[in-house]
Amino acid sequence: MDVNGRKQDSFFIVTVAGRMDATTAPEFEKSCLEWIGQGESAFIVDLKELEYMSSAGLRSILVVGKKVKAAGGTISFSSLTPNVAHVFSISGFGSMFKIHDCLETALANS
Amino acid sequence: MKNRGIAFKLVLFTLSGTMAVFVSAFAYVYFSSKSSMMHFVEMNGRNATHAAAYQIESVLRGVEKVPLNYAALLTSGYYKASDLSLLPRQMLATNPEIFGAAIAFEPEAFEPGKHYFAPYCYRGKNGVLTDIMLGGAHYDYFTMDWYQIPRELDRPQWTEPYYDKGGGNKLMATFSVPFHKELNGKRKFQGVVTADVALDGLRKIVSSTRIYKSGYAFLISRNGVFVTHPISGMIMTNSIFSIAEAKHSNFLRLIGQKMIAGGEGFVELPRGLLYSGKCWLYYTPLPSIGWSIGIVTPEHELLADVLRFGRMVIVIGICGVLLLALIVLLIARRISKPIIDLSATTLEIARGNLDATLPDIKRRDEVGALARSFEGMRVALKDYIENLTQTTAARERMESELKIASRIQMSFLPKVFPPLPGNARVDIAARLEPARHIGGDLYDYFLIDEDQLFFTVGDVSDKGIPAALFMAVTKTLLKGIAEKGMSPSEVLLKCNHELCGGNDSMMFVTLFCGILDLRSGRLRYSNAGHEHPFLLRRGARPERLIVPDGFLLGVNEEASYETMETLLQPGDKLIVYTDGVTEAINSAGEFYSDSKLLDQIESCASLSADGIASRILQSVKTFSSGVPQADDITLLAIWFTGPKV
Repeated sequence: MDVNGRKQDSFFIVTVAGRMDATTAPEFEKSCLEWIGQGESAFIVDLKELEYMSSAGLRSILVVGKKVKAAGGTISFSSLTPNVAHVFSISGFGSMFKIHDCLETALANS
Repeated sequence: MKNRGIAFKLVLFTLSGTMAVFVSAFAYVYFSSKSSMMHFVEMNGRNATHAAAYQIESVLRGVEKVPLNYAALLTSGYYKASDLSLLPRQMLATNPEIFGAAIAFEPEAFEPGKHYFAPYCYRGKNGVLTDIMLGGAHYDYFTMDWYQIPRELDRPQWTEPYYDKGGGNKLMATFSVPFHKELNGKRKFQGVVTADVALDGLRKIVSSTRIYKSGYAFLISRNGVFVTHPISGMIMTNSIFSIAEAKHSNFLRLIGQKMIAGGEGFVELPRGLLYSGKCWLYYTPLPSIGWSIGIVTPEHELLADVLRFGRMVIVIGICGVLLLALIVLLIARRISKPIIDLSATTLEIARGNLDATLPDIKRRDEVGALARSFEGMRVALKDYIENLTQTTAARERMESELKIASRIQMSFLPKVFPPLPGNARVDIAARLEPARHIGGDLYDYFLIDEDQLFFTVGDVSDKGIPAALFMAVTKTLLKGIAEKGMSPSEVLLKCNHELCGGNDSMMFVTLFCGILDLRSGRLRYSNAGHEHPFLLRRGARPERLIVPDGFLLGVNEEASYETMETLLQPGDKLIVYTDGVTEAINSAGEFYSDSKLLDQIESCASLSADGIASRILQSVKTFSSGVPQADDITLLAIWFTGPKV
């Protein structure tokens, strides 16, 4: 799994590629917590390249989401692949987080 | 060679190096000293022969002077004829080198009618001077060399050595000087004045001339005949040419020719010519008499000093080499001894005895450094092994604890359906395969009253011990919460509320739960973020159960849940599972996927609940064989057989 972050406008865009499971999810969690610690607050997580997300991945997203909210920030997700969209929909994440079709709409609507 | 020790190699290499140096130094010294020795010998030979030659020459010159003077006197004519007979005695009396002297006249020259007139005086027995008259029928001196040759040549002349039978009866050489008479302005030959030299006198001079113990000197005449020689049998009977002939030596003949031609030289002669072994010859001429003197020196004597010197050097060299070998051996042993000790100890360490004490090497050289680094290695190895032992023990303890935990966890899960009063109206079976010893999946089923069967399948986020604990909590909560009269959504709501309290780590559980009325087949169910189950209606294709939305449990306290319901007909089957089934991966990295699961379920229409669970699990395992299981796999199959009769 690859996790990268970059500033774009007022947003901080996190791109995640590969598989996010019990082994790799802690890396995502750690990176995001560091960025929160650096003062980033408007997160858009671009999942265009994410092939798979396990329940451990969901948990990491919950942890990050909770931290962002506690810091008064926002987090949204964009470009979900069908697999990930399925997981999001079943687990009810769709009702908890903002989901966008693509990064552009996320930037426009967040 | 490869297997030899350091000491052996060191000795070998040092000694071969030293030997090479020694041998070349020895060869250089030997040959240069031999050459200087040869030079010295040549000089010695030259000096000795020159000295002998000079001595002989001076004797001969002294002898020559006497007849020359008397011949001059006779030629001048100022003498009394009556004194003539006394003149030879007079010559001997004043010249001890002269053995005999004569004044020999031509026939009729002294006085007409007198054919022979030759007064001769010689040293007889005990040196007594004896006077005789030469000439007669038995001794016709006119034909003698000493008379004839100077007469013919008309000049003073030395004879070849000869054995004189006429007077002295001795081996001698004679110097003859012609004298004349002036007659009408013409010189007329009158006779010769002679002086004899006994060759034994010369022999004494020659034989005292030698430069080494068994060397010798010799004189040869103008014809190469030996005049003096240490072997008296050789004298007058052999010549240098007769020896050359006998030995077939052209070389010796050439040397003989050079000698009689008045040459001087220093040559090496092969063995057996003039000496039994190899020898060197120095020769120089005696110009006055036309003879040559030679000095023979055996090579072994000539080189004796060189050889002695060489032997001494070899002995010193061998002693030195042996001493060096001993020293090198001692040094090598000093170096290799600690290494050998070290090697013995390290072998022991290698066998596993990490407490073996390394030899205490206090040296500051490479061996010391090696010993110290070995000691460091031993200590580090010991620490490491101890550490490893502890870690392994801890891990084994953990493993065994996990095994126990696994047994406990599995024992939570119902294995057999609780006995139903009367006929069973439902067939239920489940499988749970944790990815590790213990897992986060769960299932459960129990009767909440006579006809109401509560069942659930859940999946805790993550795996391992935290997931297992969370699973145990969830399962216990559900068991406590699910009571008669409660709807599935109420159970989830209450469970969510309980799980949310103090859940900072954001652990969550997805859960599907249902309550089946065994009498009517009425199925009420609710879902908290879990995979939607499949429904296999009798005689139909499998389909997804339509499930209400609901957020997973344990995170959002405000989450709400709905209950939906459907009516199961006898023969309908429900398959509830966790995502470990559909997300199982094969070696090509592909998911097991919904479609495969759907195909399997479709083929299960005639199977019992247990058969369904087994077949699907087997199919997943076959699919993902060779790939480590990533997630827990759980399956729950319910076969509604029919209402209670």
